Amino acid sequence: MNCCKHWINPIIVCAGMILSVSGFACGADPQQLTDDGANKRDPIFVEEGKSLIYCYDETPDFVRMMKMNMETLEIVEMFEDAGNHHHYEPAFSADGRYTCYTECTGNLTARLVIRDLQNEKPAAFITHSGRGGTRNPIFTPDSKTVIYAFAETGPQQLWSCNLEGKNKKQMTHSEGITNWPTVTPDGKRVIFSNSRENNYEIYSMNLDGSDEKRLTTNRLMDVRPAVSPDGKRIAFVSTRDGNYDIYVMNIDGSNVHRITTSEERDDYPRWHPNSQQIVFVGEREGEFNLYLLDIADDISVAAK
Amino acid sequence: MIDFGSFRAASCSGKTRRSFLKTSSIVPFALGAGLPSLQAVEQARQKAKAKSVILLWLWGGPSHIDMVDPKPDAAMEYRGPFGTIATKTPGMHYTELLPRMAARSDKYCVIRSMQTTDSGHPGAGTIGVTGFKESPGPVQPNFGAIIAKHRGQDELATTPSSSLPPFFYVGRGIPRDLPRRIEGYGGGTLGKAYDPFLVSCSDRGEVGIPTLKMLPNMSPKRISNRKDLLSELDVEQHRLEKNLLGQWGHTYQSAFDLLTDAKARDAFDLTKESPKTRRSYGHTTFGQGCLLARRLAQAGVPYIQVNWSEYVETFTPNGDFGWDTHIYNFELLQDRHCPIFDRAFSTLLDDLDDRGMLEETLLVAMGEFGRTPQISNRAAREHWQHCYFSLWAGAGIEPGRCIGQSDSKGEHPVTRPITPLMAGTTIAELAGVGAQQRAEMKVLDGGSLIDELL
Repeated sequence: MNCCKHWINPIIVCAGMILSVSGFACGADPQQLTDDGANKRDPIFVEEGKSLIYCYDETPDFVRMMKMNMETLEIVEMFEDAGNHHHYEPAFSADGRYTCYTECTGNLTARLVIRDLQNEKPAAFITHSGRGGTRNPIFTPDSKTVIYAFAETGPQQLWSCNLEGKNKKQMTHSEGITNWPTVTPDGKRVIFSNSRENNYEIYSMNLDGSDEKRLTTNRLMDVRPAVSPDGKRIAFVSTRDGNYDIYVMNIDGSNVHRITTSEERDDYPRWHPNSQQIVFVGEREGEFNLYLLDIADDISVAAK
Repeated sequence: MIDFGSFRAASCSGKTRRSFLKTSSIVPFALGAGLPSLQAVEQARQKAKAKSVILLWLWGGPSHIDMVDPKPDAAMEYRGPFGTIATKTPGMHYTELLPRMAARSDKYCVIRSMQTTDSGHPGAGTIGVTGFKESPGPVQPNFGAIIAKHRGQDELATTPSSSLPPFFYVGRGIPRDLPRRIEGYGGGTLGKAYDPFLVSCSDRGEVGIPTLKMLPNMSPKRISNRKDLLSELDVEQHRLEKNLLGQWGHTYQSAFDLLTDAKARDAFDLTKESPKTRRSYGHTTFGQGCLLARRLAQAGVPYIQVNWSEYVETFTPNGDFGWDTHIYNFELLQDRHCPIFDRAFSTLLDDLDDRGMLEETLLVAMGEFGRTPQISNRAAREHWQHCYFSLWAGAGIEPGRCIGQSDSKGEHPVTRPITPLMAGTTIAELAGVGAQQRAEMKVLDGGSLIDELL
């Protein structure tokens, strides 16, 4: 992995140290992973949970991708060659060899980048003409396909391509905005959000587009679904209780529980490989930091 | 980067941080060089309902449909993906992106029938803050320049005393798109003497004065009065080329005046606020900029324009995420813009109210236009000058009302269109610049008041 050894903001919270932070419905207090307070997004565990990747506002005009060592909490830049290009929404293949992410390449333009982290061969790109950009790429569990959201000529749909950025296929043909794909560990179904019912709801379908099922029914947004590594649950974000909070439901949409209760924003949930913890970006007293929440057994607040 | 003094500040995690008055390495041009002194404006401000005006300039064109004028019954290609929530104003709904503002709609008014005449950023930007097109010239003065001149009418010819200028920009720079800045940023026909004084504010509340780029040994600690300043300038004259020092001249002296004036330094020092207050605005450049604006208003500054961003472009290398959401409109509003704005606007409103300042402070939020009601083929929204929104609070405005109405798709007003010229005229009127004074200054010609607000 092409990381530099650049140390940024000091982390004052030691690994394993539990801080008491209000606003959580679960039994265990969350572990605060950062304290610099800068605007953050898109955390994701890699290397079997030994590292955490996320993006943050390094300056008001630059979003950089970072890598945190979960043992030492040391943070380094993910890519030295980022230049002045914002990097968003990283994903990693299950075999750890590939990463893909959204990269701002010009005025009002972004592309999907697929990089081989083991070889120095040139990255593959999904580009397009004019303004616009791809969103929220992920890998299928077999590490052979990338699924992403893009508005080619109309409503934003899900698309897929191979690791060379070729063989593009449109996966959804729906009205509204489609976004945030996530794939079950068996590689059979893709979970995503779509807005055709007047707000974002979460759906599940086979990778070939068949057998679509609606998993949420709520008049406010249900977004950013993330399937747990064991395939049993889905974490997602909703405003149904007044602001951005994180919820967990069974893979079939049943048993919805709210797991954060802060009056401030909780967003960008992603699972730890152990399927027992969720990392997310929490806004507390106006600052944005990463938190790790144990949701093993005793989720206690039922959702609306 | 030069530090002008430091202030001990408690961080949000309870530790000590250092906040600095900073000067940047960029000096775009002379700003606020000859603005009249605060003492000069005191008499005029006594007559105004709005002792101070704070304009939150949402540069880039925020989407009215995705924020305060949702159209849930419109067709799919118009209405967007967001659900709606009730506000405190009966019958009025916002999208789910603005819960704090929805819960406070009884404290301000929404105008849903704004309309302008230019679909480009610099052009519409100039109209938005002057009321008039850039061409044919001459460029008309920014609303802030008009109020600055009015408040300092009698004292202009005198040497500025050390005090706060009456017209501030809070932000990273003059609003611009990639090719150029807006022409209506400053004094216009009133002259450069009425250009705004630019201060920046970081997400940590560090205040910078981009106008100052010189004299690395200067600091408020060393320079406690004008005599010290002149002495320091003498010293520096030996070190620096004389013509360079001459260029700085009056402009920089005005800036240095701020550093040697206790009231000014106090206004800039956000560490004087409680940690709770600083946090409540959110640790974003816009949030802390709003807090700085409140402090400047508290110090008696008549006009403060807080710029959301310097660059209009929302997703561009080196861009600072303006509201020009040609791409990722829905994602960026959800992820970044609306949460930041919802928090900062609501907190500023509460803060002004709690401190008893709202009756004498006019708070306005608007951009230069709205965004296309019809969603683009890139799942975003383009420029739309035919219908947009503005928010108004304080200075005697009766709150809790929705003024004006757009059609079922949000394409056009179905009530009387409200123009930027009307907005500027109303701002001026509330700030004490009456029709006679406007005529004498030859500004805001033909402008009428937004009666519904008054």
